[in-house]
Amino acid sequence: MTTTEARETFSEDAMQYAPQLFSTALRMTRNRSDAEDLVQETFIKAWRAFDSYQQGTNLRAWLFRIMTNTYINKYNAQLRKPLETELDEVEELFLFKRLGAFDQSKINQSAEDQMLELFTDEEVKNAIEELPDGFRIPLLMSDVEGFSYKEIAEILDVPIGTVMSRLHRGRKAMQKMLYDYAKDRGLVNESLLEPQE
Amino acid sequence: MADCQETLKELERFLDSELPKDRSEQILSHLKICSDCQGAFEFHAELRAAIRTKAQKDELPEGFLDRLKGCFGDEILGQDTNA
Repeated sequence: MTTTEARETFSEDAMQYAPQLFSTALRMTRNRSDAEDLVQETFIKAWRAFDSYQQGTNLRAWLFRIMTNTYINKYNAQLRKPLETELDEVEELFLFKRLGAFDQSKINQSAEDQMLELFTDEEVKNAIEELPDGFRIPLLMSDVEGFSYKEIAEILDVPIGTVMSRLHRGRKAMQKMLYDYAKDRGLVNESLLEPQE
Repeated sequence: MADCQETLKELERFLDSELPKDRSEQILSHLKICSDCQGAFEFHAELRAAIRTKAQKDELPEGFLDRLKGCFGDEILGQDTNA
């Protein structure tokens, strides 16, 4: 393959990840215009760094890594900023203990549909966006983008143990926020939480 | 065979597909005989699926993909095409 062909293939391959990159950029910057700029900067950097990209390796992870680094540098993201205490002291299985029964309460609906109805799209997005960067980025990479611990460790340049701990605490914090949203919407109703007869 | 406490401790690594095969199998055989743990695993699997679906639903800005194509050009590389 000539360099021109290789570059053409590369740009086509990269373009297919644009929607995912935009969603993640939006969760990072919380602003559509900043998110668009972030994806553009990512592609420009990727295009310029093409020579250092090894064909056949994980293009998607490479693009997310460039975007994450760009975000961290541009917005001076504080990866070590702690969670608020109350969000870091959430018990294990927090949401399941409170909403597990509710999730099973509607007989004519699949479990998946019930879960989709428990929270709105906006609530899920807000809960993610409320997390400090050090928890939000690993959670986005894992729960939303499906990267492995090893890939996330490489994207963020941190040890795998750090990735696991950040994910665990970030997920618990997110469950607490989702529960509070459900409560605000009046979804958490004592009578619905009682076991079915 | 794993007990409930061991099983729940592995919930996240299991759902993240990060457990070695033999460990996954131990967890699976516990889930088959324990409806409490099975309920917790299913709840979290569904929660994960719902988060993934909802957090990816973002409309792209109008003309976004066309503008992005402009990121891949000779001029971006700083090559002077008139030279």
